[in-house]
Amino acid sequence: MATETLLRAQDISYSQGKRLILDRISFELRRAQITTIIGPNGAGKSTLTNIVNGLISDYSGVIERSPDLRIGYLPQKVYVNRLMPLSVERLLRLTRISSDAEIERALAQSEVAYLRQRQVHSLSEGELKRVLLARTTLGNPDLIVLDEPTAGVDVSGEIRMYQMIGELRDQLQCAVLLVSHDLHLVMSQTDQVLCLNQHLCCSGLPESVSQHPEYLALFGQQVADSIAVYAHHHDHEHDVSGVTDPHHHD
Amino acid sequence: MTEWLDDFLWRAVIAGLIMVAIAAPMGCLMVWQRLAFLSDTLGHAAVMGVGLGLMLQVEPIFGVLALALVIVFSLSRVNSFNNALSETTLAIISHTGLAGGIILVGLLPSPTVNLEAILFGDLLATTRGDLLSLLLTTILLLLLLWRYWRAFVAVSVSREIAQAEGIEVRKIQFLMYVMIALLVAVMMKVMGVLLIAAMLVIPTTSARLFSRSPEQMVYISGLYGLASLGGGITSSFHFDWQTGPAIVISATALLLLTLAVTRVVKPDLD
Repeated sequence: MATETLLRAQDISYSQGKRLILDRISFELRRAQITTIIGPNGAGKSTLTNIVNGLISDYSGVIERSPDLRIGYLPQKVYVNRLMPLSVERLLRLTRISSDAEIERALAQSEVAYLRQRQVHSLSEGELKRVLLARTTLGNPDLIVLDEPTAGVDVSGEIRMYQMIGELRDQLQCAVLLVSHDLHLVMSQTDQVLCLNQHLCCSGLPESVSQHPEYLALFGQQVADSIAVYAHHHDHEHDVSGVTDPHHHD
Repeated sequence: MTEWLDDFLWRAVIAGLIMVAIAAPMGCLMVWQRLAFLSDTLGHAAVMGVGLGLMLQVEPIFGVLALALVIVFSLSRVNSFNNALSETTLAIISHTGLAGGIILVGLLPSPTVNLEAILFGDLLATTRGDLLSLLLTTILLLLLLWRYWRAFVAVSVSREIAQAEGIEVRKIQFLMYVMIALLVAVMMKVMGVLLIAAMLVIPTTSARLFSRSPEQMVYISGLYGLASLGGGITSSFHFDWQTGPAIVISATALLLLTLAVTRVVKPDLD
């Protein structure tokens, strides 16, 4: 059974000056599927998401988007000018009109309903990431693009965040494009992996990608390290921001 | 019916009020997007615009506007999506414009132009014609702000999110530049080219101290602008200070006062 294809990228190449950043990348994003882009630093992961998002337009190749494709985007870095007063609620209404109930639901889903009235500047990095995740779900998006949503979040918070992303996908039936460093943590939630290093090294189901020689060549050492991280057993639970009590700030 | 407009003081007050109405929202947006320095640049370059206008024997304001538009158009060409305007580029344009303008104005027969009025404004010399152009430009700017407010705020928070979620960031950015060019041409008369940025930044900074939302900050900076205007015109009238500088000094005095008060009574902003 084929699910609806929302975006089809064909032979996407991009260079900056003489430097080739992306070399003939092709893939498809489908409704209710999570696609994870993994790859080392400088592999072109963010460039590829920026092309999908329409931030970069001078690429070569073809991108077919389904008409009126609605995107929700969580960028790798959000730096809100301190001179700008902005509550979490207002941040959620940044590009779209949403009802109070929708705001409430989105925040509750990311387990940060208690942050609603807080100013964005006062959030920790982990809290901000969850708020931004909640933001992407508003306005009934077809595609959610998450560029390293767990950067700055500790390991157990990271695992919870990936679970949430899976739940969102089930609930909203949207496509998810996820940029991540750590396949071992995303693995269980992912339907399709794109292993990127300028060119598409390999792609497919997470189990098969993790056995692929090019993947092992790129990540062999990291995988070994991450197993060491897993062996360390946690005796307590963190939330995403590393705070043990989620109501700490109230 | 409009005889009261014959009084220069009333014309000054009206011109000041119109300026405050547009300086508050534009000032906030420019501070959020770190564009305050651009208004300074356009202001300084406006001196050259005045010189060019006088040489070509058109109204100086058209010279200013034409030059400002040329500058913002060139800047939007070189400015890539992610890079903020380079301070160096702005400083070069700013000071070249000021220096060139002063030379140009100096070449003109002396009674034609009052350099001091260009640099520091001449609110009390506002004519009915000035009032009309000020009013029309401000209405145009307010309409554009009202129409694109959500997009302007979104771009101020994150250009990436805005673009990905369907806002045409480059278009909005260009519109913002053109609006700043218009704003500078209009404010020049009241504040003088050297003091425009002050009126965009100082009331805004005071307002930030106890605002919780972007819109609230706009309204509060409007109130601060109003108070600065009142203080400036009053002190200008009583002590014979130049009006533009008097408004700026009032704005700064209010900022310092607010800072002192918020030290004692800490507003809960988080």
